[in-house]
Amino acid sequence: MIRRLLLALFGLYFLLPLLATAVYSLWAGGNRYDLSAYARILAEPQFRSTFTLSLILAVETVALSLLLLIPAVFWANLRWPGLRTALEVVSVLPFVVPPIALVGGLTALYKGPAWWIGTPQFLIVGYTVLALPYTYRALDVGMRSIDLKTLSEAALSLGSGWLGLLLRVVVPGILPSMLSAALLTLAIVMGEFTFANVLLFNTFAVFINYVGQTQGTGAAALSLLSFGLTWLAMIAILRGSRQGQLSLGGGR
Amino acid sequence: MDGLNRLLFSGPLLLFVGAFLLLPSLQIGASALSDGHGGLTLRYIEALGQPQYRTAFQNSVLLSGTTALLGGLLGTLLAFLASGRRGWLAEAVTAFSGVAANFAGVPLAFAFIATLGTTGLLTQFLKQALGLDLYGSGFSLFSYWGLVVVYLYFQIPLMFLVMTPAVAGLRREWREAAEGLGATPFQYWTRVVLPLILPPALAGTILLFGNAFSAYATPYALTSGALPLIPLQIGSALQGNVAADPQQGAALALGMVALMLVSLGLYFALERRNSRWRQR
Amino acid sequence: MKRYQALTRREMLKLGGVAAGALTLGSLIPGRAQAKTLNTIALPPDWANYGEIMATFTRKYGITINNASPNASSAEELQALRSLKGQSRAPDVVDVGPSFAIQGKQEGLFAPYKVRTWDSIPANMKDPEGYWYGDYFGVISFGVNTSVVKKVPKTWADLKDPMYKGQVALNGSPLTAGAAFAGVWSAALANGGSLDDITPGIEFFAQLKKMGNYIPVDATPATVQTGQTPIVVDWDYLNLGYSKEFEGKLEWKVVVPSDGVYGSYYCQAISASAPNPASARQWMEFLYSDEGQLLFLKGYAHPVRFNDLVRRKVIPAELLAKLPPSEPYAKVRFATQNQLKKAQETLKAQWAAKVG
Repeated sequence: MIRRLLLALFGLYFLLPLLATAVYSLWAGGNRYDLSAYARILAEPQFRSTFTLSLILAVETVALSLLLLIPAVFWANLRWPGLRTALEVVSVLPFVVPPIALVGGLTALYKGPAWWIGTPQFLIVGYTVLALPYTYRALDVGMRSIDLKTLSEAALSLGSGWLGLLLRVVVPGILPSMLSAALLTLAIVMGEFTFANVLLFNTFAVFINYVGQTQGTGAAALSLLSFGLTWLAMIAILRGSRQGQLSLGGGR
Repeated sequence: MDGLNRLLFSGPLLLFVGAFLLLPSLQIGASALSDGHGGLTLRYIEALGQPQYRTAFQNSVLLSGTTALLGGLLGTLLAFLASGRRGWLAEAVTAFSGVAANFAGVPLAFAFIATLGTTGLLTQFLKQALGLDLYGSGFSLFSYWGLVVVYLYFQIPLMFLVMTPAVAGLRREWREAAEGLGATPFQYWTRVVLPLILPPALAGTILLFGNAFSAYATPYALTSGALPLIPLQIGSALQGNVAADPQQGAALALGMVALMLVSLGLYFALERRNSRWRQR
Repeated sequence: MKRYQALTRREMLKLGGVAAGALTLGSLIPGRAQAKTLNTIALPPDWANYGEIMATFTRKYGITINNASPNASSAEELQALRSLKGQSRAPDVVDVGPSFAIQGKQEGLFAPYKVRTWDSIPANMKDPEGYWYGDYFGVISFGVNTSVVKKVPKTWADLKDPMYKGQVALNGSPLTAGAAFAGVWSAALANGGSLDDITPGIEFFAQLKKMGNYIPVDATPATVQTGQTPIVVDWDYLNLGYSKEFEGKLEWKVVVPSDGVYGSYYCQAISASAPNPASARQWMEFLYSDEGQLLFLKGYAHPVRFNDLVRRKVIPAELLAKLPPSEPYAKVRFATQNQLKKAQETLKAQWAAKVG
């Protein structure tokens, strides 16, 4: 009973602001309400192109983050506590280094090649850095929630190699954390504005910002649309990975 | 053998972090100490002692601390409340948290203005239906506590996402085992749950602290700098339309790095105490 | 609606421009059909009529415009010049505030170029060597949502009336946003301050905040439409430009406060590492021609050669009729670089302490 009540309170807190935005996005002057703001946003040619670009960048960032972090966090937790301390410190840096300064530093250091810095894929580097605090934390919590020592001793004594241990035992064990990391990364990339704005890439956040500065009801409609679309993309990831988890589980 | 593995497993990340995070960050340190003509100066670091920056540091720490603690508690509570749910609904809630944790800036500010602003939906409802005048009773969305309410919108889901795997790790069997051994529910919570939950909760709170500390677009949209916060001042020094002051911005960022390192030190100390306690 | 049309229209013209450019060049140099382009940054199509200016430019010269990051700030524009140096995507021209124009010249980011109409640009709005020069100016105005506000305020003093409780907003922080900074300065002029003294403006806003009249929200079209920010202090050309967005939803009136006429201008400059320098010079010539300057005026932004246009009587009567009364514009004086620096320092030290 108390649980229900508390959940309802949480629900109210999280849904009311969205509801208020929704009411307003439908307003068409006076007492009229319609979908014209949505029609107008959806008809913008930039809506689709920027959303697609951001989504692709998000998926690429998730892949790069996980690829870089899982092995390192695994090793830090299992055999190298010093690395863990270092990662703890490094992983808060993106919070305190202002993005505009970071982008300035990156572009001053890396001036080529053009096929890299001249394409939106250059952003993945910065996004991976920005997502680092979240990906690291999520994976570290996950890594610590499984009994890594016992698991690894068992696996190694059964003749498994380190890589096999990582892929067949650890990854399935930390899947929930990997999902948290992926979801957070996805949302960060969909919303990141400064990097793309300064490097002149037309991402979804740049588009949202532009609409927000120039339209009224359209801005409200767009923020709801982006909330909804990001949400759907995440549900799709969760779905896909749950199926992945099942097959991984079956192989065990 | 171990050395090779070490290189193999952690080398790529270390290389990446060194090249794309540490090197560019060093430049900020250099910029804070440069006088703009190739010489060294402590002018910008010393300027951090000026009243407007001191208040901003205080406000930032206070606001981040408050929302990290509240968000940490409420997010953990939510993780417990939602645990044990499976399937479609759980997925929807988890995904919702992912989006809400990154809902920020003008859209978030607007959502709350439309809800709790002076002409907001909830403000008017409370006034008309219950006769409760929020703004008459001292509340304002554009003040410190207003920001706390708004920040929790992304802090709680973030904590929820970090804590859910940990809470899911508490196996039902452990409770049954504890009960089988004659433990009271109180003993189960303090002896079994708390030691298991505390480390990730601490880690999560640190994450929340940093998350709030670096928030820029949201407080900007709501307070226009009337409530001084460090990211706002960095923003106006580095990114604005009025006065460019890159060295001062860099010095402020250095100040933030120092503060984060202090709070991390605090976290390490707490964690060490906690792990000693666990071994007992 | 206007914005959406402007955008699609521009997209279409862009395509047309590519086709036309390819056609002419292709016929001249066989086998080397390459469209001429111009890279711009931070030009919102609905800001100072840039949408129409860009479309006209493309139609006239067959030069396609790639306009990136329409909402970048001056600082971000300069950062883009540094970051993208040497790339073909780098901006050719920028439109920045005077402080940033001076900084850009010092850093060697700009290339000097004097347009044909150089002599008719007022001396206090240009760099003597031609590294940058003002393109248009505006004065601070009140945009008033008369569907909510029954009595339109005419002066800063009017804003102290208790009936405007919770209704006055700036478009952001005066430490970050140019128009908000100017708004505080305009209030200073109305309260005994001067171009040498912005303090009375800060105190005025502190008072407004205490009374509850000023709310520190970053005003956007969305906050105006919800009725949350019925009185917005902003540039005249922006407030006037909003009228179309608000059509059918609310009544919108724009007033220049008679007791605090404060103006400022933006500056146009060519990048030193412009990938399309010829297009950039063409763009400058176009902007500073009578035609380009009148297009700014059509977007309610007063072009830098305004007085010259008036003197030569080239402004169409119907265009003049659409503009706000001209007296305030005759009164406008611009702050010098030293005055700006001083005001910024004062504001930095006092804004949060007094208004927060």
